[in-house]
Amino acid sequence: MAGNTTKYAIIGIIIIIIIAIGAYYATQKPAQTTTTPTTTSSPSPTTTSSPSPTTTTAPPKTVELTGDFNKDIIAVGKALEANGISEVKFTVWAAGDPNSVMRIYGIYEAAHRINKIWADNGINVKITVNKYWISDFNQLYQEYLSKQPLGQAGDFFVDSYVFIGSLAKEGYILDITPWVNKYWDSVFSDFYKPLWQGMKVGDKYYGIPQDTEARPLYIRKDVAKCIGWDLSNVADLVKEGKFTWKDVYEKAKEAVSKGCSEWGLIHRKGSAHPDLIQFIYAFGGKLYDPEKDKLVLDVPAVYKWLYVEWKFAQDGLLPKDIMSWDWAKQIHPTIVEGKTLFDIGGTWYWTEWQTKDYYTDPNTGEKRGLKPEEVKEWFYYTLFPAGEEGLKPVTLSQPFAWMINSRAGEQNPKYDELKDLYHKLAFLIVVKASDPDINAIHSVISAHVPVRKKATELLYDKDWINKLVNLQLDLAPEVKDNIKDIVATTVNEINVEFLANVSYMLDYTHMAPNHPKYPALADIFAETVDQVLRGQMTPEEAVQHIISRIQADPELSQAVEIVGEIPGGWQFP
Amino acid sequence: MMQLWDVEVKSRKIEIVLILAVFLASLPLILNYGLLILSSFSTEMVTNLDPTSFRPTIDNWILLFEGRLSVTGGVREDVVRYTINTAIVALGVAGVVVLVSVMAGYAMSRMNFKGRSLIMQMILLLHAFPGVALIIAVYLIFRATLPSDIELARIYSFAYVIVARAALEIPMSIWLIKGFFDRVPWEVEWAAIIDGASRLRVWREVMLPMVKPGIAAIAIFAFLAGWEDLIYVRTFLFDRTLATYIESNINVEFAYMPLLAAAGTLYLLPTILFFILTQRLLLETSTGGIKG
Amino acid sequence: MKKNIFSTNKVQLLIFLLPAFLIVLLFYIIPIIITVYVSFTPMRNWNIDKYFNVIVGLQNYNRLFSLITRDPVARQVVMNTVVFVAITLAINVLGGLGLALANFFIDERVSTGFRTLWLLPRMTPIAVYGLLWYYFFHGSSIGMLNSIAMSLGLIKKPIAWGQEVIPWGPWSIIIIVNGFVGVSFGMVIFYSALKSIPRELIIAARVDGASNWKLTTNILIPLLRWHLLFVTTWQLLSLLTTYAHTFLLVEWGVVSRTYGQTWALYVFNTAFGRGEQDQGLAAAAAVILVIFGAILGWITVRALGFNKMITKPKGDI
Repeated sequence: MAGNTTKYAIIGIIIIIIIAIGAYYATQKPAQTTTTPTTTSSPSPTTTSSPSPTTTTAPPKTVELTGDFNKDIIAVGKALEANGISEVKFTVWAAGDPNSVMRIYGIYEAAHRINKIWADNGINVKITVNKYWISDFNQLYQEYLSKQPLGQAGDFFVDSYVFIGSLAKEGYILDITPWVNKYWDSVFSDFYKPLWQGMKVGDKYYGIPQDTEARPLYIRKDVAKCIGWDLSNVADLVKEGKFTWKDVYEKAKEAVSKGCSEWGLIHRKGSAHPDLIQFIYAFGGKLYDPEKDKLVLDVPAVYKWLYVEWKFAQDGLLPKDIMSWDWAKQIHPTIVEGKTLFDIGGTWYWTEWQTKDYYTDPNTGEKRGLKPEEVKEWFYYTLFPAGEEGLKPVTLSQPFAWMINSRAGEQNPKYDELKDLYHKLAFLIVVKASDPDINAIHSVISAHVPVRKKATELLYDKDWINKLVNLQLDLAPEVKDNIKDIVATTVNEINVEFLANVSYMLDYTHMAPNHPKYPALADIFAETVDQVLRGQMTPEEAVQHIISRIQADPELSQAVEIVGEIPGGWQFP
Repeated sequence: MMQLWDVEVKSRKIEIVLILAVFLASLPLILNYGLLILSSFSTEMVTNLDPTSFRPTIDNWILLFEGRLSVTGGVREDVVRYTINTAIVALGVAGVVVLVSVMAGYAMSRMNFKGRSLIMQMILLLHAFPGVALIIAVYLIFRATLPSDIELARIYSFAYVIVARAALEIPMSIWLIKGFFDRVPWEVEWAAIIDGASRLRVWREVMLPMVKPGIAAIAIFAFLAGWEDLIYVRTFLFDRTLATYIESNINVEFAYMPLLAAAGTLYLLPTILFFILTQRLLLETSTGGIKG
Repeated sequence: MKKNIFSTNKVQLLIFLLPAFLIVLLFYIIPIIITVYVSFTPMRNWNIDKYFNVIVGLQNYNRLFSLITRDPVARQVVMNTVVFVAITLAINVLGGLGLALANFFIDERVSTGFRTLWLLPRMTPIAVYGLLWYYFFHGSSIGMLNSIAMSLGLIKKPIAWGQEVIPWGPWSIIIIVNGFVGVSFGMVIFYSALKSIPRELIIAARVDGASNWKLTTNILIPLLRWHLLFVTTWQLLSLLTTYAHTFLLVEWGVVSRTYGQTWALYVFNTAFGRGEQDQGLAAAAAVILVIFGAILGWITVRALGFNKMITKPKGDI
């Protein structure tokens, strides 16, 4: 026992000593902890470089970005070298599904390419990259919030654009507006325009689009055939706004009543970012007023959305308890086994169904993933139809963004002096990671939609796809190593064709606002939809419920403008 | 084992009834944990009485030790490292808690001073302050004291999370261990003090051996608190533990759940071992210890 | 001689209390003061530099008050909390006592197995533990409870226990899930207390022919008074502030959001669950909760006769 006690005592003493050291350091460095954050909150990168103090001997502390990548990266490399830096360490934080590894390895690959440029030009500086990955992007964001002020968050933060509003407000990510402008013509003008709206707060850029996706309405071809529905021109009808949710309802009802499928419609569940707000846009509503910088509760559109859901559930076309269905055991198997006519999903479903064992083979009784041919044979896809005639179809995107920590590069030597240089290097790495081929690889292996036209073009390039399949592309070895098994299962003609075919949807896309209070509103939506589906509230009650919940929270009610009224005499279908 | 036998001597029948009763109450737990372990050896989660969902495989465990989260894709993780980190935190918390509360508990039990009763009550009421609220201020202090050197900061983050987490357990442990000290006959200690031993020595050599079951109890609680802690670890620790690893990957839309079942099972093994070991060690010695 | 020991006593007392005092000071007293202060600031997203010096007066308290009085969900939350705390507390204390006694009377080897089993919920990471019950209570046929009930012929089709059987369905689930964790607390404390009761006492009673029941009521439980008081008060305060297990059950849709949320969870969701991390609001809620908890705790301590139990150390000088 005495031995035990001494053991504990020793552990205790060690810890106390460590604390003492910590306290010592803390008292030693009070200036450091207080000054860095204030400077990070308002970075003014391009203006700081005044040419006057550069004497002949002092190495440059910054460089001016020109928009010419090679020139800039060489200038940065030379400046770093002149300051005695031989290695620059960066850490990238990313989240997402297991196939989206390029959110990490895009940075690795960019660093690899920059290292090569530097080596070719005789610059003796090297970038090394560390990684941090978790599946849940919400949790990664929360971790970023608490670790950023401690200087422990990633230099690159790859997460949903919805967080840009909050992060920018707190000064946790870099305002990259001047640099984006410099690179607009040479790189960023190639990106799909609508994506940029999510990267901005006011008129300032805080992120670069990394990927995006569309949320198609999937239609089971076999079930459609069973009810004698010819799908051949449905996508066009949807596009023209002639096939609306009323038609979806009729078809769903037909499928269920004729016994062709168990359900008419299945959709996703979830609270932070429900796809269901597509209904708001499909009924011509909006969620955000940019002029007042306020969220909007568009009462007529919200009412119509809730009414449609309520009607579907009441008539047994949509499971009343869909919001608590299990992903792996209920939602996906129901879809891939053809027990529903419609499904509101995402583009990533296409490969998800191939890589996960959701399907029970009727012949062997075994669980397996679908074959690409089966997915193509069974699933038709369109935009999310208009709510009613005269309106437009929509889709919803949640682009991921490359964000740069406002303390990027802090783990490197001479950070206080060379901060601007490190920040610009971080930006240039992101520019490189946006290379068309890196973006195209990510899109293909994770079934996301490319963010730039040149990447989309690669999807049509059979030659390039073949090289990717055989991993003959010029990539860093660890990148190759980490994508090879994903490439083997996901890269094939059918999947690439699918991606190319859905990219038109981006022209119809909407994005939920990146307003800091939006998640609170989305939460209330999700809770209310659940109760409406279960029949615990009528659509009218639900709208009232949403309004009173918004009004109960002074902060939320200040941020949300409630417009319009429940439309009297509106009917569905 | 003599003494135990004495307790049992009354009736075998009653014992069997008791065992049955406890077994019945435990049934949901047995089912739940049984299914968790079963699922870790299956390609699909086993969640009900349907036997077809059990499709045997050991791939989950292989994938886990390769540090992967899914069958295809995913970024490799160092699960062994996470396990070690978790153990460091848990053992650290247990160590700090035991040391601090065994000292304070002794003083509260055996030393008379003004305000003693009030302090005891205050300590109890400290628990009314939830960790999730304290964490804001604890974070502030952490930030103010964080060393700027990266490596040092990493070590400091371990030390800080250990002490901060231990602090949450200390009120409880002081109370508990005080109760154990209270029951040690005063004469035992008195004799030693008359012999000229200092209180510190009496505490260490005479008193501690007599409260071993109490030490076991608080050590177990503290260890478990450190082992499963999520919020403090996630906020303060720069490295990852099994808890943060599992928490951030579980039950999301595309999670491959059987692998997480394996991770969960792995997470439980060391704690079970630790519990059984401390129980045996401390209880057995204590039964012989009380002789006056 | 009296004087002599008394004077060393103070130094020694200090030595014994110093570590605990430091920790309490550093991790309770100072943080509590800071928390009260923070409740008057708009602190959020851990941004100390930006918000620490901004005072917004009672804004956070007003917001809380507005939520309690005007949010239709909040009213139900109060009721949920009362039911949840009362019933779970009873289960945790009595269940823990029952388990400890049962384990005390059965063979050591068997009891170690049981006690390990009952400690599992406490050892399990919250997410994994939540997952077990997620599958157990799942409202469809994949749920264990539905599966059992259906194979026994008790029900024809699956029931969404936590969503349809209102309000006792969701209440029972959060009580059971938290109860299985809480019970082990009492069990371990009571069991180790029982184990450290001098054997002579028990043997003497046995020799006198006392039955298990008599032994329990006349000797064991009176000796456990201190621990009973402690466990009751402690669990009361724990249950008031607990939210983690319930959070996942609500999040994953096993229990209804309206009937499954307790006060602590409601505040957690409002302050942290929605994108922003609103530490100012959380601090205000914590201040209210701590006042409330302290009063309740105080009452419990008084009602259970705490003072009578803190006897003066007999032999001390």
